[in-house]
Amino acid sequence: MKPIHLIEHSYQIVLLAVAVIGIFLYKKLNEQFKILALSAIGSFLVNVASTLTIKILGTNAPALHVESPMLYIFYALVYYCLFTSKNLKAAIAISIFLVSLLAIINAVTFQPFLTTFPTYIDQLTLAILALLSLLLFRQMLLAPSTTPLLSQSIFWYNTAILFYATTLFFISALSNYSLAYGTYMDLTYLWYVILFIFAILLTLSLLKASKENQRIHAKG
Amino acid sequence: MQRDDLELVILSTTVLFVLVIGFIVYFVVLYRNRQLKNRQEQEALQSAFNQELLKTQIEIQEQTLTYISNEIHDNITQVLSFVKLNLGLVNSETETNKKKITESRELVSQSINDLRNLSKSLSFEHITQLGLVKTIEIETDRINNSGLLDASLIIEGEIYTLGEQCELVLFRIFQEALNNTLKYSKAKLFKINLQYNAELFNLTLEDDGIGFLTGPNVKSDGLGLRNMKNRAALIGADAIIDSAPGEGCHIKVTLNPSKLRLYTDGVHQDRFS
Repeated sequence: MKPIHLIEHSYQIVLLAVAVIGIFLYKKLNEQFKILALSAIGSFLVNVASTLTIKILGTNAPALHVESPMLYIFYALVYYCLFTSKNLKAAIAISIFLVSLLAIINAVTFQPFLTTFPTYIDQLTLAILALLSLLLFRQMLLAPSTTPLLSQSIFWYNTAILFYATTLFFISALSNYSLAYGTYMDLTYLWYVILFIFAILLTLSLLKASKENQRIHAKG
Repeated sequence: MQRDDLELVILSTTVLFVLVIGFIVYFVVLYRNRQLKNRQEQEALQSAFNQELLKTQIEIQEQTLTYISNEIHDNITQVLSFVKLNLGLVNSETETNKKKITESRELVSQSINDLRNLSKSLSFEHITQLGLVKTIEIETDRINNSGLLDASLIIEGEIYTLGEQCELVLFRIFQEALNNTLKYSKAKLFKINLQYNAELFNLTLEDDGIGFLTGPNVKSDGLGLRNMKNRAALIGADAIIDSAPGEGCHIKVTLNPSKLRLYTDGVHQDRFS
């Protein structure tokens, strides 16, 4: 077995673990983290579908065309619940609609569903997610909670998103750069490093969220 | 991947990772500072609220005491004076009755005097007019004349004014301590010490009574002891109450005149009422 296949399988196991943790903790989570748990399950299922499409079609582009907007919708919905500003909530709701629409248009016209990766949608959604994470950090600073920061699920979620969005945006940009100048860069390993770290951070935020809820219930 | 490309990827990835991690660390530090600042602000607000609450309680107490003082002075002593006058007008032929009337007149006179003194010790204006030292001197004499206790007053240092509100609070602490001694301590001696230093004022009150338990293991202080501590806190003073069974009671109120709260902040009025 090639090292890359080993990493791919390991990543699938990690995604499965996150999804199982999400299902296990689901009842103990509040609304926003229930959405995050669902995103973990969705992510695992798309990853399985991706493996199947590679075997059947020789490319995982169709799975990625589904994954990009799907993950954006999940993460943006979490932000929708976390933000207190009505304007931001409205902006997120509009962005969810627009991204969904653009993803369909892109799959039909610019980057065909069966053959090309949805890099345009990736770049767009990652940029929006990075912006949302910065805005949430700002909101947190304006009204700090009395709970220690490292015990807050919201901090770990936002850190995960900031890390995921900025690094993947960068890798995506680097890939596009290499393609534009005709030099091939294999960034798969780096890509997986980021995905592993992201999965760990999301798991951490789910665990913290369940603990927070238990504490709230214990206080009555 | 070519060597140049690999270097570019490694370099730019490292820079990006450092930037993201740096940002997170910066945020953590900033957030903790904000949390600390918020906590301090909340504590300051709570402290200000407690101060206002204490001040209001004391204002109400002072108003009540002033009302009682006025009633004693304007009503009860007037009635007793009238009784004394009437007794003087009673004609009696028998020596026994004359003697009884004279004794009664003397008793009424004594009651009038006692009530006047009590009225003065309750009166806010009387205390602020005379000042702390003079008022405590009068109280000391009153205690000694009553024969209930042997009280002594020692004044050290050059006397300076602490402001009428602060002196009133200190006098009320003194009264509370004296009442406790009279009611519960079975003491024979009561020592009062006033120390006036440039940077420190001490009011020390000592008795040789039966004492009581104090310290962290004792579940709760009495209302009088709590009152003393609260009143001291109101003017930014520390009240230390030290006692043990059989060893009397020692109360020390320490105050830094330059840190008088109610006078220096410019928000509170200089008088209670």
